Amino acid sequence: MIHGTDGRTPAIELSHIVKRYADFTAVDDISLRVDAGDFFGFLGPNGAGKTTTINAIVGLARLTAGSIKVFGHDTVSDWRAARRLVGLAPQEYNFDRYLSIRDILIYQAGYFGLKPREVAARADLLLERFGLASKAKQDYMKLSGGMKRRLTLARALIHSPKLLILDEPTAGVDVELRLELWDLLRELNGDGMTVFLTTHYLEEAEALCRNIGIIRAGKLVALESTRALLEREGKRLQDVFLELTRS
Amino acid sequence: MIATFNRVAMFTLIKREMVRSLKIINQVIWPPIITTLLYVTIFGLALGTRIKSVQGVSYAEFLIPGLIMLQVIDSSYAECSSSVFQGRFMNSIQEMLIAPMSAAEMVFGYIFGSVARALLIANIIMALGYFFVHTLPSNWVLYFGTMIAVSILFSALGIIFGLMAEKFDHLAVLTTFAITPLVFVGGVFTAASQLPAQIRNWELVNPMFYTVDAFRYSYTAQSYLPLWLSLSVICGLMLLALGIALRMAHVGYKLRT
Repeated sequence: MIHGTDGRTPAIELSHIVKRYADFTAVDDISLRVDAGDFFGFLGPNGAGKTTTINAIVGLARLTAGSIKVFGHDTVSDWRAARRLVGLAPQEYNFDRYLSIRDILIYQAGYFGLKPREVAARADLLLERFGLASKAKQDYMKLSGGMKRRLTLARALIHSPKLLILDEPTAGVDVELRLELWDLLRELNGDGMTVFLTTHYLEEAEALCRNIGIIRAGKLVALESTRALLEREGKRLQDVFLELTRS
Repeated sequence: MIATFNRVAMFTLIKREMVRSLKIINQVIWPPIITTLLYVTIFGLALGTRIKSVQGVSYAEFLIPGLIMLQVIDSSYAECSSSVFQGRFMNSIQEMLIAPMSAAEMVFGYIFGSVARALLIANIIMALGYFFVHTLPSNWVLYFGTMIAVSILFSALGIIFGLMAEKFDHLAVLTTFAITPLVFVGGVFTAASQLPAQIRNWELVNPMFYTVDAFRYSYTAQSYLPLWLSLSVICGLMLLALGIALRMAHVGYKLRT
């Protein structure tokens, strides 16, 4: 474990986590710590266990073994406090189809225990920031793919989380929006938010992440700073990734 | 701040369920009301005039509470089963699953949203009953108490089936093969005393019979079975269904992997 050595409570602490589905092991004894304020990339090929790990952190998957702490709060025994601190932007668009775009944010905040009057201003601010203000009363199904992606991010941020988890946030978006999202994520991280990112775009991880974990077949095969990973191998991240993930 | 019970989350879900009902008003609010009007017109006011009285009241007056219970049962089950299944199918239920929201807050959120819809439909039918048949409940506590208990029972069943279903078609199994037939033979259209003795005995194992019989008492002050027995059966079944729904949500049955 190379992170969390500065004495501060780590944003994420995975301790020997295992997740099995019947006789298939999706996550196999992973331990890692992500510092508060870090921009952490979690990479791996399809089916490596990235989304399962994310699901375990946010409570969508139950661990077979091990434990997870978010800012020191155990995700099982102290789940309310842990979940309160996490914002998740999943890969798929899973919005409530009966709500307007603004209400998607307001209701999500409600599930986090925040009353509409407490978050109305923040919802409007986020809609403005993400270029969705003019669509506030519309149905989300009328949005373009890029706008849906922005709405996913806005929803993840509505309750002001300290940890933002992004599962393939730029999948299927054009270059312009991708760069725009990169700037936004840098800004959020610059403001102190911890970002945990999975992506298939290695140049994205290289450009954004300070530290990187690489997972293959459920096992962590690398956990280093992006710089050290590149310097050690003396190659591009893509070459390092392929070397580590090829069986 | 969230203490031990995330009340805001539960009320958010209740409001969401009500918004959903109003967004699909032509599917969920008007059909039961129009169907009930047709039943009252054809069975109560047309054919019913040939029946002198049932349990001491006109057939139309006898029919109204049964029809209200029919729609309460149907709408409570439909609301929760379709909303939960749709949430699973579209994955939108994850909005709640990742939030600091407990199984109880979720289950009661769905249930109270469903009870609100059932109360709306029931009270519209009650008002129509007063307008067309000039009948009103005589015991309002029993009227609301029975209705809410029955609505909770069938909302909880809706959650159970909404969690178990693998496709929309599965949701119809309980309605088609159990709820509808049992409600129709459960005293909505006929008094138990009018049935042949052998069939009448079978009614005692029909849970719908207890719900209709107890609810009708709030209108006619008469029932076939002792009121305490019917209310005990309703409350017992309600607690059982609620317990199962809470347990399934707590273990994350088909919600968390």
